[in-house]
Order: sequence, then C-alpha cells, then structure tokens
Amino acid sequence: MTHTPSAGKPLPRAIADTAAAAPARRALRLGYGNRLRLCGIAFVLPAMLFFLVFKYGPMLWAIGLSFTSYDMVSAPRFIGFGNYESLVGDPVFRETLVNTLVYIGGSTALITVLGLALALAINTRVPGARHCMTIMFLTNLMPIIAVCLVWRFLFHPYGLVNQLLRHIGIGRIDWLTGAETAMPAIIIVTVWRFAPYFMVVFLAGLLAIPAEYYEAAQIDGASALRRFWHITLPQLSPIIYFVIVVSGLLCARIFLMPYIITGGGPGNATRVLSMLVYETGFSYLKMGRAAAISVVLFAISLAFTVGQMRLFAKSEENFR
Amino acid sequence: MSTRKAISRRRAVLQGIGATAVALSLPRRGYAQAKAPVHLGFWTFDNPQQRPWLQKRIRLYTEKNPNVTVDFQWFPFGDLGKKISVGYATGTAPEGFVSQDWFMPLWLDKDLIVPLDLGRLGYSSLAAFQDDFAPAFVSGAIKDGKAYGYPLWFYGYCNYLNTKQFKEVGLDPEKDAPQTWDQLGETAQKLTIRKGDKFSRQGFKFAMHAAAWTVIQFNPILIGAGGAWFDSSGKCAVNSEAGVKAMTTRASIALKYHAEDPTDSIATNPLPQLDWLKERCSMFMQPPLPPVLVEHENPAMAKGHYYRPAQYPGYVAGKGNSSTYGFNLVINARAAKEKQEVLHDLYRFVLSDPVDAWKSAAPFPLALKGGWTEDPLVKKFPHVEEILKARDNGVPLPRSLVYNEMADSMHRAVQRILLEKADIKASLDTAAAEIDRATAAYRKA
Repeated sequence: MTHTPSAGKPLPRAIADTAAAAPARRALRLGYGNRLRLCGIAFVLPAMLFFLVFKYGPMLWAIGLSFTSYDMVSAPRFIGFGNYESLVGDPVFRETLVNTLVYIGGSTALITVLGLALALAINTRVPGARHCMTIMFLTNLMPIIAVCLVWRFLFHPYGLVNQLLRHIGIGRIDWLTGAETAMPAIIIVTVWRFAPYFMVVFLAGLLAIPAEYYEAAQIDGASALRRFWHITLPQLSPIIYFVIVVSGLLCARIFLMPYIITGGGPGNATRVLSMLVYETGFSYLKMGRAAAISVVLFAISLAFTVGQMRLFAKSEENFR
Repeated sequence: MSTRKAISRRRAVLQGIGATAVALSLPRRGYAQAKAPVHLGFWTFDNPQQRPWLQKRIRLYTEKNPNVTVDFQWFPFGDLGKKISVGYATGTAPEGFVSQDWFMPLWLDKDLIVPLDLGRLGYSSLAAFQDDFAPAFVSGAIKDGKAYGYPLWFYGYCNYLNTKQFKEVGLDPEKDAPQTWDQLGETAQKLTIRKGDKFSRQGFKFAMHAAAWTVIQFNPILIGAGGAWFDSSGKCAVNSEAGVKAMTTRASIALKYHAEDPTDSIATNPLPQLDWLKERCSMFMQPPLPPVLVEHENPAMAKGHYYRPAQYPGYVAGKGNSSTYGFNLVINARAAKEKQEVLHDLYRFVLSDPVDAWKSAAPFPLALKGGWTEDPLVKKFPHVEEILKARDNGVPLPRSLVYNEMADSMHRAVQRILLEKADIKASLDTAAAEIDRATAAYRKA
C-alpha cells in the first residue's frame, strides 16, 4: 500500500524526513560503472600519492631550487636564471657536458651493436650458446662497486689488460690516467656491464620473429645479409628503439663508474654531469646550482628520448 | 633480659644505619633533582684509535653525570662535513661535533657555531688559551678575539723513510734524510728501481688519488717557495711566480728525477700510504703513522722497525715545514643555552687527561702543548720529537670558504701537469681562475 500525502494533513515527521532524503540518496547512489571507476581510483590512489610525493614532488622542487641560491645552511634565496647563466660561463660545466654527451653516445651505440651481435650469435643455436648467454649475463649480477674496483685494477698501468697487450706487442697504455684513454676505458666497462643485459632483450625480440619469414626468404634465395637487413632489422626496430632509449637514459644517469674508477680525472676528462651534480651539491654546498645542472641533465634525457621517438617513427614508416 | 637488650640494641643499630642512609641519600637526591636531564647529540669522524677514545671519554662523563645522555654518532672521515651541513639544513645537526680544521671558516662565516666560554674551560684569558695550543689551531679557530673551537688532535705530516732501503743503496737514513727538495729528488732517484716503463720501486711518491691530499702535499711547498694560496684581496695566487716554482718542484720528482710513477697511485689507494708500507716506495709524506698499522700491513717492517719519520725538506736546508691540520670540538649555535653549558663541561672533561689520549691514539698528538709530552710513555715513543716538531712548525692548510672547490681545481691542475704534461703556468692559471670564480660565486650568494 502506498501512502500519498494529502493536502492539509501533515505527514508524521519521520516519514517526512525519509521522503525528503530519498531523492538525495538517489542522487548519491552511483551506477555500477561509476562505482567501478571510484574503486579503481581508490586502488590507484596510494601509488599516485607515492609518485607525487616521492618522485614528481622532488622533481618539481629541484626545478624550483634551480632558480635559487641555496647553501643548505641558510634559507634558499630566489635568483632567477642566475644559476643557469653561471653554468653557461663555466668551462668546467661545458667540458663536463661534452663528456656526458660523448659518454652517452659512445656507450649507447656500443651497447646496442654489441647487444644485438651477441643476441644474433646466441640465436644461431650453436651447442653451448645458451650457457654462454648465462655466463655473459652474470656481469649484471655483480655489485657495481665490485665491478668498478676490479676494472680499476685491470686497467692499472701494471694490470692484467696491459700485461696481455704486452704479449701481443702493444706497449703500456695508461688507461685511466691518459686524457684520451680514460673515457674509452669507462665506456668499455659500461658496455661490458650492460651489453649482456640488452642481449637478452634482443634475444627475446629475435625469438618472436616468425620463422616462416626466414623460410620464405630462403626459398626466394635471399642471402643471410639480406634476410638480416629486410626481416630481422625491421622486425626488431621497436626493440632497437627500446634498447637505445633505455640504455641512453641509463648512461645519462651514470655516476658510480666514473666516480669510482677515475674520480672524474685525469683533469676533467671523465667527469659527467651526475658527478658534477653530486660535487656541486654535497661538496661545494651549492644546492641551487646543483639543481640547475640536474635540470640540464633532465633536459638532455628528454631531448634524447623525444629525438629517438621521432627518428624511429620515421624509420618505421620507411620500412613499411 | 639480655636477649631483649640485644634485640633492642640491634634495632637501634639498624635504625641508626637506616637513618644515616636516609640522611646520606637526601643530599644526593636533592643534587640529582637539581640537575635536569640533558640530552645531547654529538658527531665525530671514524678512526680506529681516535673515535673509540673520544667515545670512552664521553661515556665516562655521562657516568659521572647521570643526568646527561649523549647520542654519540660517527661517520667516515670524508663524510662528516657533508653530514653536518645537511644536519644544519634539516635542523638535525647535533649540539656538539668535531669539526675538521678546514671547515672552520665556513661555520664561522655563517655563524653556525658559538664562541666558547673560556672561563668555563678553565682559562683566565684568550691569551692564556692561545698559549696552550699549537699555532696551527689558533689561526683557524679564533675570530674577532673569540675562540670557537676547543682543539683535539693537531698533527703535521712527516717524510717517512724506509731506512732499510736507504742502507741498501748506501745512504745513511739519519744523515742523508733529504733536507732540500733537490736532495729529495736526488735521493729518490738513487732509491728508484725501474725496468723500462715499469717501476719496481719508486724512490718517493706524492699521493695522486684525492684532492685533499693534493692540497696537503702542495701546501708546504707553495709556502716554502714564498707563495700563498690567496693574496691580500682574496684573489687566488697559486699561479704567481712562487706558485709556478712550487709546482715545478712538485712535478720534478716524476718529470725531472723520474723517481715516481704518477699514474700508479691513482689506481691503488685502499690506503694512501700502502705502497710505502708494502715497500714499493721508499719515502712518503703522511700523518703520524700508528705502529698498529705498520704491524698490520708489514709485520717485518714493524718487527725490524726500519722506518722513521723525518721533517719535510725545504728550499733551504733545515727550513722545511709540513702541512698541519687538526680537529676542534665545537658547539652548534642553535643548541639551547643549558646544553651549551653542559658541552663546555663535557669538552673540558674530555681533554682533562691528555696522557690517556696519547695511550689510546698514539702517535696522533694533541694540539695541547704541555701537560703530557713530558710523560715517560710519550717520551719513549720512537721519534716522537719529529712528530711534535712537525706539529709545531707545520703550516696550516689554507683557510678558505671555497676549500673543496679550491682542492678540486688544484687536483685537476696537478693531474694535467703530471699526467698530460700540460704547461705548469697555464694549468695554474686555469686553477686560479676556477677558484676565483668559486670565491666570487660564494660572495655573491
């Protein structure tokens, strides 16, 4: 039985309240889709908050700090673009910037080429190839500090590398103390460390290429080189893009290798931006300037990623 | 009757004891109540000998003063300054800490530490306080007639000789200890053993692994040559004529006398003095060398005791100075007044037994001139007179607000000169320009 309010006869209060609240409740009552969305947001919110507080927050704070003079013991003072202007006029920064670009370029190119070459070699299914892969991958399991210390001894003027070179008639090379050889030495260590890791990534890509493509090409009489050029490379292009971007970003942030192996020397030959950020901030107590250098480093990484994205978008179109 | 009497007597005795105990405990309780609990933070650097001694002294103080508790923390030597800076930035700096000598200008410039109440430390005047300590300390911790640091250890570097190797090449380690820089080069040349481009033994070596060592080792050569780090206007003066002369001397051991391999020590530095301890080089300039370290690294050398410290060479025989540096006990300006007072008492207690400091941390000498050097234990320590002479005659490290930048710039210059054979004047010009830029930036900030 349904009660309908009759004119001139007031309803009991409880019933009147319920009747008034009903449309409001209906308004609050969400549909299934909205509830699902809210539920999703609730699940994602902690992670979002985590990123906001611990990742994007500090990033924004660092950008803000780059416009200040801050020595860690007094309050930050706004100086506009003062830090950036002083960086432009600083030869040490310019030299370090060039070092960083050389390091990123050299390491990324070698990691990509060597990683792909190793993956192709493993993929030939020669007996024992998979065991070789495991052994090579072990370089990634060693603690980075141990890697740096071991290589420092290997590259010592009287170390194993020079002793081996002497056997093949090459004289002493001052790997870590020569301005021309120190950066290549750091790049060698970086490639030794990371190429096997990206080899695994390339190998996964190679295994995903359908064997039928190669069979058809073989029937058509395509040589191994043509098969590599026309099947493997186009099929692997997303992987190559991934490896270049990821290894490039990895190299842009590298710190421990030059810091431990050469300390940035000789002179300024192996000092990279991340080292300069550390020294400027924590050794010279110039946090604003250090933040400005880190913003430059961030800009390089961003430019590198965007550049690679465009380059590969074009090359993919070409392959199509 | 007699039993009752005995019981009542026993009761009376017990009551008496009880009353005495209560009476005795009353003033104590009153005393304890009078002193409010004080909790202090205290930071220092780590070192196998110095840190445990300091920790022991602080523990003894807290045992005597139960109302005081100290959160004693220590950090690697190179990290302490950074930790304190971050502590100030975040408001977590301790109330008291050990400051390395070269950080004093920075703390003073920013008013981060307080002047000490010398009366509370037992001194009648600043002059009396100054007279008590080695000159290197005084120059770094006193500003505008006020003392900001209470010095612990201060020491000068010595030229440590391997006396066995001296004898092997027909040299008398006593008479032939190099007195001038030229003699150092010639002696090092005689001691060097090399086959082609490989050194089996370097006659002498400068540490090349760290900027801090570069400054410490170049400092006395520069001052000895009549140079200075900064001129009166605060401009860097390492590229002066005297600076070029000093750097030419510094480089001569490798480039003129071919008695050291500057590429070698960059790569092997678990301990800066390790090559000397392992007898791969015959002379090395270093702080006072603890016998336990020699024993650990080279038992034969420790057993045969075939090493000795000698004074730095100079440009004139017998006029050499070493680099001297040390450590001060300081008080955070942000510490509450009552905590500052307790820290004064604590510091005074810490240094009240200098002989104990020597027992635990020999051969690191205290900055305190007297009151311990006459002790037989100190006197019988081998070559202690050389260690004390180096402390007293040593030149302090440059007092600069951009010390770390200065050290890094000089380190780069030394590496260019020795490893890339770069022009000395041009390299020093570059370093001076970098240091001036850093100074200007500091002033602007």
